[in-house]
Amino acid sequence: MNATHMPRMDVMRSQLSRARGLGSAKTGVNHWWMERMSAVALVPLSGWFVLQVMRLAGSSQEDVVEWGGKPTNSSMLLALMVLTFYHMQLGLQVIIDDYVHGKPHLPASLLMKGVTFLIGLFAVIAVLKLALAPSRKASA
Amino acid sequence: MVEFSLPKNSTVGKGRIFPAAPGAKNVKSFGIYRWNPDDGSNPVVDTYEIDLDKIGPMVLDALIHIKNDVDPTLTFRRSCREGICGSCAMNIDGENTLACLKPIKDVKAAVAIYPLPHMPVVKDLVPDLNGAYAQLRSIEPWMKSDTAPPPDSERRQSIEERAKLDGMWECILCFCCTTSCPSYWWNGDRYLGPATLLAAYRWIADSRDEHAGERLDALEDPLKLYACRTIMNCTQTCPKGLNPAKAIARIKELQLERKI
Repeated sequence: MNATHMPRMDVMRSQLSRARGLGSAKTGVNHWWMERMSAVALVPLSGWFVLQVMRLAGSSQEDVVEWGGKPTNSSMLLALMVLTFYHMQLGLQVIIDDYVHGKPHLPASLLMKGVTFLIGLFAVIAVLKLALAPSRKASA
Repeated sequence: MVEFSLPKNSTVGKGRIFPAAPGAKNVKSFGIYRWNPDDGSNPVVDTYEIDLDKIGPMVLDALIHIKNDVDPTLTFRRSCREGICGSCAMNIDGENTLACLKPIKDVKAAVAIYPLPHMPVVKDLVPDLNGAYAQLRSIEPWMKSDTAPPPDSERRQSIEERAKLDGMWECILCFCCTTSCPSYWWNGDRYLGPATLLAAYRWIADSRDEHAGERLDALEDPLKLYACRTIMNCTQTCPKGLNPAKAIARIKELQLERKI
């Protein structure tokens, strides 16, 4: 049973007042739309990534580093990482909204956002390191 | 946090068995949720064995027979017995529907009957829908127009404008959809639920209404509207064959349309 609907003797606030609550937050469109748009963008990006990994399987480390150093590849990788973790944050927020209620909701949301941001940052820096690494083949 | 099990005082026990009269040939078993707020005990499922040859074809016929001839303490709501009042909404064979529109023969095994899910129970099959009614009231389900109506006639609509209300005006507010929605179970204190959102869109789509913007403002909320996860139980369960999920999708489209 959810709290509002329980016939609690200590709550005499009218049902209409509870239904109206604090009113509309005047937000939600952006979250909903970005969740969908990032999902759509991730379809080609993920497909591209899987194909590239299959192609690179068995290559030497030098070849992979060189592959990651090409601007096209590093741009695609960066887009993939940023959108993946952005989408992950939006999706996990929805799950927290569904399953975590009351006081733990805010700390759970903040923890999720912080962890997602740090993992995403780690991925982005890894890609940047590849992108900006001096080509070993050229110097060799 | 989310609750994964029923609280102790809600665990359902086994109840009494009311056997059919000796000699009855066409017997079907009805397992019905019973809870009485006055006796302080947990809910139970009572079993009634009913001779189908003696009653009409619908689940409501069986319930009325039980109340009249077997066990007068059984409590449920009913009125029109033809699917237009919405009173006999309950969970039959695992699906929310109207007892008066649900043929007994559609249920293969014993007929399990429970009140609408996840609402406080008043008694037996009667749920407390006051919260859901207040949510409906909160979206102001009436025409709001600043233009005065013609002095000598009603407000007029083209045939096309009127057709936009089809699939929405038929809603009888039985709340089968709202109480079938997991999002409503989780966030029913803030999520408005499919029945109320269908009613909201009915007024947004009405060509005579002049407050669509204010209506969209009031719905633009992460939970009031966007707690809809497109689970589609609402459309699946609607005993009138309506599509509340589509109405919710239309509201989301309009919210987006005015932003981009």
